[in-house]
Amino acid sequence: MLNTIMKTKLFGWVDRRTGAEAIIKSQLTEYPAPKNLNYMWNFGSLALLVLVLQIVTGIFLAMYYKPSAAFTYGAYTVAFDSVERIMRDVNFGWLIRYMHAVGASAFFVVVYMHIGRGLYYGSYKEPRELLWIIGVVILLIMQGSAFFGYLLPWGQMSFWGATVITELFGALPVIGEYLQQLLRGGFAVGDPTLNRFFSLHYLFPLLLAAIVGGHIHALHVVHSNNPEGIDLTKPEEKIMFHPYYTVKDAFGVAVFLLGYCYFVFFNPQAWGYFIEVDNYVPANNLSTPAHIAPVWYLTPWYTILRSFESKLLGVIMMGASLAILFALPFLDRSKVRSARYRPVFKQMVYLFFVTVIVLGYCGHSAPTPTLKLVGQIATTYYFAFFLLLLVVPKFEKTKPEPEGI
Amino acid sequence: MTEKANESRRNFLYLAAGGLGGVAAGAAAVPFIGSMFPAADTMAASKTEYDVSTVAEGQLVVIQWQGKPVFVTNRTPELLKQLDGHDEMLKDPNSEAIEGVSAPWMTAENRKYRSIKPEYLIVVASCTHLGCIPGYKPSAGRAEWGDSVPENWPGGWHCPCHGSLYDLSARVINGSPAPHNLHVMPYEYTSDTSVVIG
Repeated sequence: MLNTIMKTKLFGWVDRRTGAEAIIKSQLTEYPAPKNLNYMWNFGSLALLVLVLQIVTGIFLAMYYKPSAAFTYGAYTVAFDSVERIMRDVNFGWLIRYMHAVGASAFFVVVYMHIGRGLYYGSYKEPRELLWIIGVVILLIMQGSAFFGYLLPWGQMSFWGATVITELFGALPVIGEYLQQLLRGGFAVGDPTLNRFFSLHYLFPLLLAAIVGGHIHALHVVHSNNPEGIDLTKPEEKIMFHPYYTVKDAFGVAVFLLGYCYFVFFNPQAWGYFIEVDNYVPANNLSTPAHIAPVWYLTPWYTILRSFESKLLGVIMMGASLAILFALPFLDRSKVRSARYRPVFKQMVYLFFVTVIVLGYCGHSAPTPTLKLVGQIATTYYFAFFLLLLVVPKFEKTKPEPEGI
Repeated sequence: MTEKANESRRNFLYLAAGGLGGVAAGAAAVPFIGSMFPAADTMAASKTEYDVSTVAEGQLVVIQWQGKPVFVTNRTPELLKQLDGHDEMLKDPNSEAIEGVSAPWMTAENRKYRSIKPEYLIVVASCTHLGCIPGYKPSAGRAEWGDSVPENWPGGWHCPCHGSLYDLSARVINGSPAPHNLHVMPYEYTSDTSVVIG
């Protein structure tokens, strides 16, 4: 099919001016991929799909959304009303908004799986360090983008979430106060904050699209890792990306869309995990909701923040918990990549996954002394995991890796 | 299995899968394109009520309907007389050019008035050329308007953008770039003076 198209006169005309055939062949039809990739390798293409969905739904929402905190009547505001108008009056507005809101959570589900896959199979190791680092940049921009986006409906959770997070920057010495004012455009979260967050919420996905391009380019230079974590040298160990992985990715997309559509059509708020109930109350700068927590995908880092008595230390450690991901390729010096052949690392990485879930649970729940202690223990292990990687390779007895696949 | 059999089966599967994917993509595009059409609240604001008795004799009032300007004029008997005797200057004296939009009240005798009540002309104020609002120049001849209007000017509207001319029933005059008379939108009288437009 693709070959037939590439033989047409029109394609030839384009090809002589762009080199399109060489690109398609090197990146798709003749791009060699390991033949043993399992379903954990589906999440990269799924993340790309969700990014596209978010950008498309976002562009259409922006046609009706109005970033203004000006009051309309009662406690309602232009921004809050415009979201409700999208839900009630705009044709299919409910669908597009729920696709966007569910898509935000779906994006993090998919990306966290993708990152977990990279951790487990050692995809961050040489020669893929930069590929991993670009991925961490993508994660940070995603989190920023999600945070900016959450302010836009101008509900109670929007307002107080933004207040709490911008307040964090105020903890930094000397520059904190000014940084906080720079983010807010005032002394408290208000109309200027809403306007700049909307601007940045539109900008960040465009940055993402560009950096994702870099991520894929970097991948195609160093090539995919595989579940065995070994370098593949023989041609028979590889298969063409198209049709083998295009079809497998398409199957993954179908399965993903089933789950996505369930939430979009039947459970868009996901029991308050995707859209918090309090966010249907208009923002009120004089009254904080009884329990405030970020959306689930930010809660692990929120727990790390809460685990420290000193405000400054909490902020620093939260920053460090993300920054340490950049250092991961250089902390872990083991020559063996895949956890399949690293018995100690395997236990550590499983415990790490559990820890992140525990951190997430603690951050989502109201603070109690017990949960605080649990959160502190989890925080300790979170950092211990990375630091232990410095010493584990010195004593870990790795299993023999296969010669090939 | 031969290489050839494999190929044709594969091509069939590509086409079937691609076709189905195309249908799905098309279906998914429906809500997105649909969302760009006017929203329910915009549709609900598509009717305008107006009391024509507030328009003084000889006066022109511009009101809004669906965000568009609408002329409401109260034509004096003198102005109504100016409607006669220049049919040969008009592109479409009986407003028949656009099929199927003639209101039931558009009977043979009030075609020249283009209104339910002869004195109150109610038309969309957008020039049918490119949508500018024509200026009101009701008196006949050039006395008041100079050479912006032709010598035998029957009184009416003159569009400032590209010079289209309309008579006092908003019928377009020959030589204008505008193709049609100013549109008469659907409206009805709900009482003696109250009009619902839309």
